[in-house]
Amino acid sequence: MDFNLSKEQLLIQRMARDFAEKYIEPVAEQIDQENKIPEDILKGLAELDLFGIPFPEEYGGADGGYDGYVLAMEQIGKVSGGIAMTLSAHSLALSALSVFGTEEQKQKYMVPGCKGTDILSFAFTEPATGSDPKQITTTAVKDGDHYIINGTKRFISNANWPGAMILFATDDESGRPSGFIVDKNCEGYSISEPWDKMGMHGGMLLDVYMKDVKVPAKNLLAGPGMGYPILQLGISYGKVGVSSTALGGMVAAFEEGLKYAKEKMHRDKPISRFQSIQLKIADMAIKCEAARWLTYRLGYLANDVKDPRQFAKEAALTKTFVCETAVEVTRLAMDIHGSYGLMNDYKVSRMWRDVIIGPQIEGVADMQKMIVAGLTLAD
Amino acid sequence: MNIVVAMKQIPDLQQIRIRNRQPVLDNVPLTMGDIDKNALEAGVNLRDEHGGKVIVLSAGNEDVEDTVKEALAAGADEAFLVIDDSLDGAESGTIANVLATSVKQIEEPSLILFGEGSGDNYSGQVGSRVAEILNLPQVSFASSIEIKENQAVVTRVLEDGDEIVQVDLPAVVSVLANINEPRIPSVTQILKAGRKPMEVLELGELKVDAGKDLVITESNLAPETERKKVVVKSVDELIQALTTEGYVGR
Repeated sequence: MDFNLSKEQLLIQRMARDFAEKYIEPVAEQIDQENKIPEDILKGLAELDLFGIPFPEEYGGADGGYDGYVLAMEQIGKVSGGIAMTLSAHSLALSALSVFGTEEQKQKYMVPGCKGTDILSFAFTEPATGSDPKQITTTAVKDGDHYIINGTKRFISNANWPGAMILFATDDESGRPSGFIVDKNCEGYSISEPWDKMGMHGGMLLDVYMKDVKVPAKNLLAGPGMGYPILQLGISYGKVGVSSTALGGMVAAFEEGLKYAKEKMHRDKPISRFQSIQLKIADMAIKCEAARWLTYRLGYLANDVKDPRQFAKEAALTKTFVCETAVEVTRLAMDIHGSYGLMNDYKVSRMWRDVIIGPQIEGVADMQKMIVAGLTLAD
Repeated sequence: MNIVVAMKQIPDLQQIRIRNRQPVLDNVPLTMGDIDKNALEAGVNLRDEHGGKVIVLSAGNEDVEDTVKEALAAGADEAFLVIDDSLDGAESGTIANVLATSVKQIEEPSLILFGEGSGDNYSGQVGSRVAEILNLPQVSFASSIEIKENQAVVTRVLEDGDEIVQVDLPAVVSVLANINEPRIPSVTQILKAGRKPMEVLELGELKVDAGKDLVITESNLAPETERKKVVVKSVDELIQALTTEGYVGR
């Protein structure tokens, strides 16, 4: 057992940290206020291969593994939850394509995705369901060598960017959910205004409306009725990104709380000298360390998934723990700030608005616990 | 045009803690010096403009084989390394001897670039010493370098103004930190760095007298001084105290 990072892993971590601190941090507040990622930041992310870290070189990726991916995402998430969320949702769609796509599909849709010219989406959730495949109402009707898709998708990340969307619809042949690759600027595709969510600004959630969208039959992913396996494994990979984002957010909050504790004076002493503050610092340190290694481990496991069910359990328990812990750590950091922590002038308040989103996205925490319990009892 | 960039392996300064007034270096990751990265960036830009190769030259303990990947990721084409535990912390004269002997083994270098000072000791001596040993012209404090035929036109930043120097190649140039903004390598560049050519020599193979002098930094902190504490309760008492101490009324 060796917990040391290799030189390459250290360099990937430092690369992401340098880019985040030098280029994202100065505009992080602006991103939060405008809910928009500046073009030059997206360009920079693409130049550094951050849109395709874990994917094979033959499909435009950097071959850096999911272990490299978690290290980079943690650093991006430390500075901007919204940018990390954008990359995470994009990588989730790429992961599904990477596992289930044909050679032709991968060449056509993964290459521009990994290069960052396209930003991909993964569209399962609908107004009436977030996690239950049996409840989806979007339909795909076979019509010669095409499918005609109708329906509405809700809270879809990156739906405003050009690129592929992995979309789930019940196809009329199998009667079960299937996955389709939909080009986001095709005829019949339209989007809502972005939802005005409380945090992770810059990462946009939109509703997607599909009216008689014509998708070539060759864009069916992995065959009719294969929606559930795609969803299960895709979302598991998605949790690698969400966990890394939450880890970054919590580490940032920890550092912010620690800094404040050392600077804020009370009766001529920094408040870090008081035991009640020290207990909070200890709790934050313990939680960050546990979350960090659980997340890194998930990245390592994602490199070689042999059993999708087992991986689903590992991903669910990691995502649940890390996202919930991120909320706890950030709450402690806010408590150290006292009333100042409630003020938008203080970074910790933005951090709180970002991390509180983690337990709800990519599968709500209670649903993740049901996955963990179900698979644990079945073992 | 082959460009040699000398880089020094140092502990990552951001991660050093001070305990009992001493730097704690255990488990601190190693990196290349900050201004060395500026020198590398300058070399890579000149190579992109004029062709040729950038060869990173470094001397240190065996960890330098791993550390040099940073430079190879950031655009260098090859590495030339001299490895020996005795080179870790060796003084400037020793290192200059080793580097100058190494430069002689590199194919036709036109330019040998240094950072103005190393990231740890910042003695700023090695570039000048190497130029002297190799009997090459040297330009220091460079804020820009242009190559025109077989000459380098270098802008030097001095206290009372800039100086533009024209110098025949090959030459040694040491650069300032503000000469450029070092690039951040991409994931692909990082992962491919280890596959670039690397010539690694043991110190014994180089046939150079490295000497045994070491630089030991005891502490760079200002010495602690005992301060006298006098508590006063009024301005009158303050004046009285200052007068007693001889600070007023002299």
